[in-house]
Amino acid sequence: MNTPAIIKEPRWIKPALIGAALIFLAVFIFIPLVTIFSQALGSGFRAYSRAFSEPDIFASIRLTLLTALICVPVNTVFGVILAWVITKFNFRGKRILITLIEVPFAISPVIAGLLFIFLFGSFGWFGSWLMAHNIKIVFAAPGIVIATAFVTFPFVARELIPLMEELGKDDEEAALTLGANGLQTFFKITLPNIKWGLLYGVVLTNARAMGEFGAVAVVSGVIRGLTTTMPLYIEILYNEYQFNTAFAVASLLTLLALVTLIVKTVVEHFIAEQRKQKLV
Amino acid sequence: MSIEITQVGKKFGDFTALENINLTIPDGEITALLGPSGSGKTTLLRIIAGLETPDTGTISLFGEDSTWKQTKDRKVGFVFQHYALFKHMSVFENVAFGLRIRPRRLRPDKAEIRRKVFSLLSLVQLESMANRLPGELSGGQKQRVALARALAIEPKVLLLDEPFGALDAKVRQELRRWLRFLHDEIHITSVFVTHDQEEALEVSDNIVILNKGKIEQIGAPEDVYDHPANPFVYGFLGNVNLFHARLDKGVLNLNHAEGGAEVSFFVRPQDVVISLSNENGKGVEAKITGHRILGSRVRVNLKTIAGEKEIEADIDKKQWALIEKENRETIYILFFGAKIYSKDETWSDYAI
Repeated sequence: MNTPAIIKEPRWIKPALIGAALIFLAVFIFIPLVTIFSQALGSGFRAYSRAFSEPDIFASIRLTLLTALICVPVNTVFGVILAWVITKFNFRGKRILITLIEVPFAISPVIAGLLFIFLFGSFGWFGSWLMAHNIKIVFAAPGIVIATAFVTFPFVARELIPLMEELGKDDEEAALTLGANGLQTFFKITLPNIKWGLLYGVVLTNARAMGEFGAVAVVSGVIRGLTTTMPLYIEILYNEYQFNTAFAVASLLTLLALVTLIVKTVVEHFIAEQRKQKLV
Repeated sequence: MSIEITQVGKKFGDFTALENINLTIPDGEITALLGPSGSGKTTLLRIIAGLETPDTGTISLFGEDSTWKQTKDRKVGFVFQHYALFKHMSVFENVAFGLRIRPRRLRPDKAEIRRKVFSLLSLVQLESMANRLPGELSGGQKQRVALARALAIEPKVLLLDEPFGALDAKVRQELRRWLRFLHDEIHITSVFVTHDQEEALEVSDNIVILNKGKIEQIGAPEDVYDHPANPFVYGFLGNVNLFHARLDKGVLNLNHAEGGAEVSFFVRPQDVVISLSNENGKGVEAKITGHRILGSRVRVNLKTIAGEKEIEADIDKKQWALIEKENRETIYILFFGAKIYSKDETWSDYAI
């Protein structure tokens, strides 16, 4: 195909831009990734496995997985409900609601953490009530879960709202006229239409839930072996000059992130396939 | 009577979609809701289906007040402009959907569903497509699947929202003839929404003309075409020449001179006759300002000598050839079947 001269760029632009992108990726992504694994395994595999004999490591892995295990399903369900409410109904204040969904992204995670200290801390709004009933939220696992849920809240809804807006209401209305009730309509019509977009949102939620640092650092109080998630524990180890162990945990967290990324890539591939099918 | 709509009104914010609609839809016939966009026709159809609730008034389906009945319990078949087929289901599964989701005690068994789906697919001539996905069908085929799917639940009423709107001109022609033919076979009470007057005239038994949320006229196609209730209906049902003139003792005076009553004068382009001579003395002097050949017809632009009124005529190509050959400076025009709408809002026929 002949490109008109006016939009033709000089010959060197394409390789130059690709080269710049590759160098950037190498410096900022590839080299650091390699560093993590080489540092972790640098003193040999035995040292690496010895690092995992520390009991606190398992506590941190357990807490991280527990947090993700609670936050991901909760945010998935609420994300779907929110997207449904926003795209299927008309009501006053809809625009405000859409803006509110963005709040956890807009504010710094540290502020998000502080917010929960103000709410549930011993001098907070609900602090004395919680103390009287002997419920610990701040500086305990519940606080970590709540802060993480807050920070990861927007992913699913933000992924689904544009998708569901594009799909429109016709399919659901068609199902209603054919005699389907609300649940049948959701599970048989809506869910198959949004499943890949939903999964993508879930993967992003999971990645952030496992990796969140700022908000969790504030609410957890960083009590070793009790309220340290993997990212927090890595920082403690690093500050104590236990580089080997720090990198060992870091490599594990990175591995979890990479698995998430691979799942995400596969999901993206399926979304593209589905788009293509729709175009046929 | 199958559907009775009483005093129905609906607003969207400040916009009045429907105002005080009273309408009875006759049994076993096709009724067209015809109107320009924003006239409220689709809103009215969606209110009948229960996809929208009226602010005021009631809807009764087969003698039962259904204003607050849920869509799923109304037993109405609905066909959407953009088909709304379930993309992840095959043609067969789409048509079977309404039967498969029924509660167990009302659900036909598998063999029965299969029999029924195939009989519907044969009705819409798509048996061979049962295993295809909607993405693999053409627009016309998709709309036929949508129709089969709507009929599968044995609805008491079939509602169609601009069913041919998304199709190209030729397929649209075919499909609307086919719909008429299908209806003559199964006689289901049908209501369809359209903005295309030709479609309404061709397919329906009754036409309801809506404008700005109100009903302008109800009647059989030839009724509304020949006896339009008001200038809007006249203008909407086809091209029309409209000008103001004075009527003096039955003689049309195009000059704005005094004498006679001022009237609005309506004539369709195909009712304008161009004549080379003025035999009966009733012709209006005019000159030809332009023409355009539209296949077998010719649209001629004329201007009257007196009063300089622009008039459009739609004439036969052969006749145009004769007129063109003569190449006269002045010709005469006669109006057949013109209508006069006087200031007191009454219609009368203009006789030559």
